[in-house]
Amino acid sequence: MKETFAKISPFQVDPKELEEAFGLDDNSFDAANDIEKESMVEMHKSVSYWADAWRRFKSNHVSMVALGVFIICMLFAFAGPKFVPYNYADQLRNAQKLGPMEYSKQEQQVKLIEGKCKAFYATALRPGSITALEKGDYVIKKGGKTYAFTLDKVAENVIIMYKPVGIEEELVIVRMKDIAKDGSFSEYETIQYTDTAAKGAEQLKLVKNVFPHLFGTDSQGRDSMVRTMFGARVSIIIGIIAALIVLLIGSIYGSISGLAGGPVDFVMMRIVELIYSIPEVLVVLLLQVVLKDPLQAWFDSSKSAFVKGLSDLGAGIVSIFITFALLYWVTMARIVRGQVLQLKKQEYVTAANALGASNGRIIKRHLLPNCVGQLVITTCLQIPSAIFLESFLSFLGMGVSAPMASLGSLCSDALQTISLFPYRLIFPAIILTVIVLSLNLVGDGLRDSLDPRLKK
Amino acid sequence: MLWYILKRLLASVGTLLVVLAITFFLMNAVPGSPFITEKSTPEQIAAANAKYGLDKPLIVQFKNYLVSYCHGDFGVSLKMQEGTPVTDILFHQGKFQLSIKLGLIALLVAVIIGIPLGCIAAYNRGTWLDGFLRVVTTIGVAIPGFVLATLLLVTFAVKLQWLPTISGSLDSFNVYVMPIVSLSFYYVCYLSKLTRTSMLDAINQDYIRTARAKGVTTKSIVIKHALRNSLIPVITYIGPVIAGIITGSFVVESTFSVPGLGKYFVQSVLARDYTVIMATTFVLSALVIFMNLVVDIAYKIVDPRITLSSRED
Repeated sequence: MKETFAKISPFQVDPKELEEAFGLDDNSFDAANDIEKESMVEMHKSVSYWADAWRRFKSNHVSMVALGVFIICMLFAFAGPKFVPYNYADQLRNAQKLGPMEYSKQEQQVKLIEGKCKAFYATALRPGSITALEKGDYVIKKGGKTYAFTLDKVAENVIIMYKPVGIEEELVIVRMKDIAKDGSFSEYETIQYTDTAAKGAEQLKLVKNVFPHLFGTDSQGRDSMVRTMFGARVSIIIGIIAALIVLLIGSIYGSISGLAGGPVDFVMMRIVELIYSIPEVLVVLLLQVVLKDPLQAWFDSSKSAFVKGLSDLGAGIVSIFITFALLYWVTMARIVRGQVLQLKKQEYVTAANALGASNGRIIKRHLLPNCVGQLVITTCLQIPSAIFLESFLSFLGMGVSAPMASLGSLCSDALQTISLFPYRLIFPAIILTVIVLSLNLVGDGLRDSLDPRLKK
Repeated sequence: MLWYILKRLLASVGTLLVVLAITFFLMNAVPGSPFITEKSTPEQIAAANAKYGLDKPLIVQFKNYLVSYCHGDFGVSLKMQEGTPVTDILFHQGKFQLSIKLGLIALLVAVIIGIPLGCIAAYNRGTWLDGFLRVVTTIGVAIPGFVLATLLLVTFAVKLQWLPTISGSLDSFNVYVMPIVSLSFYYVCYLSKLTRTSMLDAINQDYIRTARAKGVTTKSIVIKHALRNSLIPVITYIGPVIAGIITGSFVVESTFSVPGLGKYFVQSVLARDYTVIMATTFVLSALVIFMNLVVDIAYKIVDPRITLSSRED
């Protein structure tokens, strides 16, 4: 190498000198390896569309806070019921019409004796229902041990406790009225128990700690917070599914219309205009009434798992979906068509066409991915509008059917007793507003980050 | 222009027909009839069906509806006020007038307050006033109408007792305050947001700079140059506003027990009073469709660049 270099060089340079002067050595003339090549490229790491959008979205503080709030709402709606020992349909006895943080009389007693004994049992998990134990055999299972006993008379308003007396632990039965205000009690009956359960003995369950009714209870003794959680869950599910239906129909319809052009486009757009000018809510109200009975009949007769899932949601909600599928996709279709009209003049569409791609493939692979920004934004803003519609219908008494709750139906239930219990309206109304507000702000943020051209 | 209006009128009639057809066939798709009560025998139901022509084939019934509508005859109520002509219920009992009055005032309030608020926000861009208006309007569009209506009812009518609930006399102005506020609040907020955005767009245009360079006063710039050009997207939104106010009237009229058309429609749907449903749908959709037409024409007057014949997006 050195020799070669010396030979072709017009100057007679001593390789040694060259090495000293420029810091070059033998290896300097080898082909560059991959790492060296990489370091020579003066470009940023390529950033994907989503990463770039996410970067922009993150810098928008309002939208980030709104996203956080929405996630909290989702947790409230979907994880919340797991932490509350009540269910949306449970009617707690003697616990009707409680205000926020209030306890029923029995719950107060249970709270008082919580510290006095190890555990107490009742027929059900709910403190409100510790009222009567029928005659018969009962069994309590705890820590691998079985306590079986027989009651020979009806025991009303009692609590069965697992109480340390001296060294031995024993089961006692205490009447509620013997419990003093400070939770202490002196009168009790000891229960004789064996460790083999009789056949058909009813198992008593441990009463959990009394969970506060943070939002109070309604006139039927149902815990309002759990109902609000389920209501929020129903509203969010409706919002998301309805938006997805709109996305599906709107994007397919819009892209077919845009790509086809000509008379097909003309007819399809006239249909859109027609549906657009129909006063939707009139039709929606009618649809609600019309669809409910046939849907219920369909649910009752069909056995497939899909229909079963739908029937869990209830006929009211399913007819909301149908309404969206029939009437609300037109805005989406118009937006997608507008985008497709612009995109289809692009070279890559011509190229795909020339390579023999079918129209379906062009729509799927080229057109829709390129308007994904618009699709995401419109879908996101569709969610609050679906939630609005559902709550509106529920408010008029046509949405979800009892005992299921939605935020709208909770508000409408609260309206009957509004002057006495205003908090029953306030809580679901605030949650509803917060969900819609956060989704609106997230949608605005998405618009700014996904479609920089629209940025103001 | 005339040709365009004529064409749009024809299309409107078509839309109205479609709406009526949808309503009619949906209505009849429900199993059950307005005449079924606990006591009624099959013979009585059949007799009632025959009396009101409900025993004829659907298509004949639909044709009969259309023919009588062309004569201005809406039939008689089947259930809610049995035997009373629907025209009397809707118009002579003041339901239609009341709803229209509420709706128009709400629309006016939305336009008269919403648009100037948007201008003020755009003009004071970046100041505390703009920030405050933005917060209020953003929250405003997230509050469902019925929540606002109920809150107003509780606060001002029940707790403070400043305003009467509507069940009293309809003559005093106080009665209308809460229904109108709850009907128009959302649209005040929405229009103000919309105006602000389009105003900011307009303010950044070259012709505004030119006007400023010529020494035109700010007031004159805003009113003469910026506002006119920023009104275009606002006007396109007025159509949906009208439809929305009519929708909102269902809730507001139920909440404040206003004896208007909206409340009556909801009741008639629940009671399956076919003739009332059809007539109310007809009146309300005709109203919405007609207002949309008016808005489209107004659009043309405000922005001469828009050619009415081509309706490409």
